[in-house]
Amino acid sequence: MSQLHAPRARRTFLLAAGAAIALAAAGCSSSGSGSTSTGGTPTGTSTSAGTPSTASVSASQCGTKPGQTATGTPIALGAIATNQPGTSFTDIPNMAKAYFDCVNANGGVNGHPIKYYIETEQTNPAQIAADARQLVQTDHVLGIVGNTSIIECSVDSSYWQKLGYYVIDSGIAPECYSTPNSAAVNMGPRYSSDGAVQYALSQHVSKIVFDQSRVPGTDYIAAGPAALAKAANTPIVQLTETVPITDANSVAIKEVDDAGPNGAVVLNFTPPEALIILQAAQKLGLENRVKLWGCSTPCNTDFLAATLGPKWNGKLFVNAELTPPDSTNTTAMSLYKAILKQYGASVQGGIGSFSQMGFTEAEIAVHALESITGPYTVKSVNAAFKAVSNFNTGMLCQLWTYGSYPMHIPNNNDYTVTPDNGKMTTAQGCTNISSVDPQIAQYRGVAGTAPMAP
Amino acid sequence: MPPWNDFEPFIVSGLALGGVYALSGVGLVVLYRATGVLYLAFGAVGALGALIAWSLSTKAGAPGWVSWLVCIAVAAAVTLGYGMIFGPALARREPLVKAVATLGLTLVLYGVMDLLWTTSGGQARSLGLPTDNTAFTMGQVQVTWTQIIALGAGVVLTVSTGAFLRFTKLGTAMRAMANDREITATLGVPVRRVEAAAWLGCGVLAGIAGLLLADLVALDPTTLTFLVISSLAAVLIARMRSIAVTFGAAIAIGLVHDLLTPITSLTNYRDMTPFVLAAVALLLMPRRPVMASSREEA
Repeated sequence: MSQLHAPRARRTFLLAAGAAIALAAAGCSSSGSGSTSTGGTPTGTSTSAGTPSTASVSASQCGTKPGQTATGTPIALGAIATNQPGTSFTDIPNMAKAYFDCVNANGGVNGHPIKYYIETEQTNPAQIAADARQLVQTDHVLGIVGNTSIIECSVDSSYWQKLGYYVIDSGIAPECYSTPNSAAVNMGPRYSSDGAVQYALSQHVSKIVFDQSRVPGTDYIAAGPAALAKAANTPIVQLTETVPITDANSVAIKEVDDAGPNGAVVLNFTPPEALIILQAAQKLGLENRVKLWGCSTPCNTDFLAATLGPKWNGKLFVNAELTPPDSTNTTAMSLYKAILKQYGASVQGGIGSFSQMGFTEAEIAVHALESITGPYTVKSVNAAFKAVSNFNTGMLCQLWTYGSYPMHIPNNNDYTVTPDNGKMTTAQGCTNISSVDPQIAQYRGVAGTAPMAP
Repeated sequence: MPPWNDFEPFIVSGLALGGVYALSGVGLVVLYRATGVLYLAFGAVGALGALIAWSLSTKAGAPGWVSWLVCIAVAAAVTLGYGMIFGPALARREPLVKAVATLGLTLVLYGVMDLLWTTSGGQARSLGLPTDNTAFTMGQVQVTWTQIIALGAGVVLTVSTGAFLRFTKLGTAMRAMANDREITATLGVPVRRVEAAAWLGCGVLAGIAGLLLADLVALDPTTLTFLVISSLAAVLIARMRSIAVTFGAAIAIGLVHDLLTPITSLTNYRDMTPFVLAAVALLLMPRRPVMASSREEA
């Protein structure tokens, strides 16, 4: 009888194992889609400044001919963004699209509307390479603005260099910062982690525990905090976690045990994962077992501050790559909020770092496009992108420059925020990321230190 | 090797993690014993219920208890609906086909959740229970009553379900039907009704598990949907048959997993624990056929 049923038992085991593998594989796949945006009538210039705003700003101020739809030949721009279960960066190109829609409805760029193509991908190199070719060969885009992808920079960098495209993006992969053809408006995980560790070191902690998700590129990210801690003669423990995190309790206990009572735990995770760890620490009563907790930019959301509650006021310090939207009242910030309200229906996260990045990238692109006097071609558009110099975005500490450099880290000065009764408030104003990070030193060596925004 | 004191908090967290695996694992075994279906959508339906509960309580302002009941009701309704529509058609198919069919439901629900509760813009969600606010200290860390309830629910579920399947008429009918639907029907058992009861019970368990896991682990579709994979290890160790062994295996997996955390050389490999233990157990245990055992019990 046993022998008779042995094949069935094996089948049952294989069934379970196969199903488990299929489930795991399913977690890494999804399908993509594209979307386009067309605009209205010619005109334009928009140079949003970071000057204080006392009057309310209308979205129509994004263009130079309010209410006049651009009707000229469209200028095609494109973007590639990761959109997969658990990781979606589509808010960034969607906000850029909202900005372009606003420009198109209010005069366009020298009379030309912007036609914006958004391709999404699921961390599949072949798909990402195909997306780039789709944008160039089928959609005939003249420039790439708003790319935000886990690996797009790694996959497409040489392609953009070969074709002479100078990408304005939100960076994640190392190649977004270390190649001539990519300039990001954000600092990305490495330099944002640098900022968080730098703040902890400035508070004279005795030890740093730096924990991040175990994904490709962790060694590259970890090198920055390691350099900062070494320069400060402070021991650092580097940890990585499998995501999604299912054992947050043990993760939090290990972090706190390793850091010690005068140490700091610095996290580099997406908002959901960081929230899981911080909530676990709170439930276990661990939040006060270390001197402070730190986090890279993704933790900079009011939702996180509200969910964690007052126990984390002045205990958690989050690096903020862009100007805090709640406490800032400048023309650019008001315009950003007005455009988001009127044109940003597809921006699901609302006000926050992601939509700020999309706004900033679109703002820089429009500023560059307006400087073109001749025909709009791949050559003229990318030359204009590359020529952007000391532009006041109103969203960053420093003026933003692309330039002809072998690498680009134009955003290397940032804020630190902390929860305060459900809101993130500024704990430290604009501060340079330390040149102790060799990449920052190398960039400043070729590009210098950008002037602060007025 | 760290001193013993360093391990103490990980025993507490390990028991909590084991309780999490046990909740899903026991639910999987219950339905498998009753219908012969390995219900891989167990985590996804719980996640769907928990997300609806979150929307009700945070967006619609519904009282907590209403949203919890809705969570359980949604999970029960989806599971029952699936069982009623696809159960009869799949009844005569191979176990692999039945499992893959539930994988289809998993992916559909996962897609729906990703669409309706997007993570775009860095959105994160959290579902707390009132029992999170009361805690006591054990092994240098706080233990919340939610963790105690989860562990207790696993024990209660194990004992009560085991007794139900063994000592009640309906439980006996479920086990008989799982082994041979045709013969059971010829004996006069209303198979459709018994099947419905099994699917409904499993759905209720999925809803309760979803609610507790959303609090204990994370209110995240990916996490809750795929948590079932680690629970499968406990189910495999129990050979999809013994609820008590499933519970014990789940607790053991949770404990071993967390006790590896403070050991620097092994900490990065601790996520392999469920699968390593399952593989070792399957290799060492005598090769007793799963289905034959159930048949004898029936």
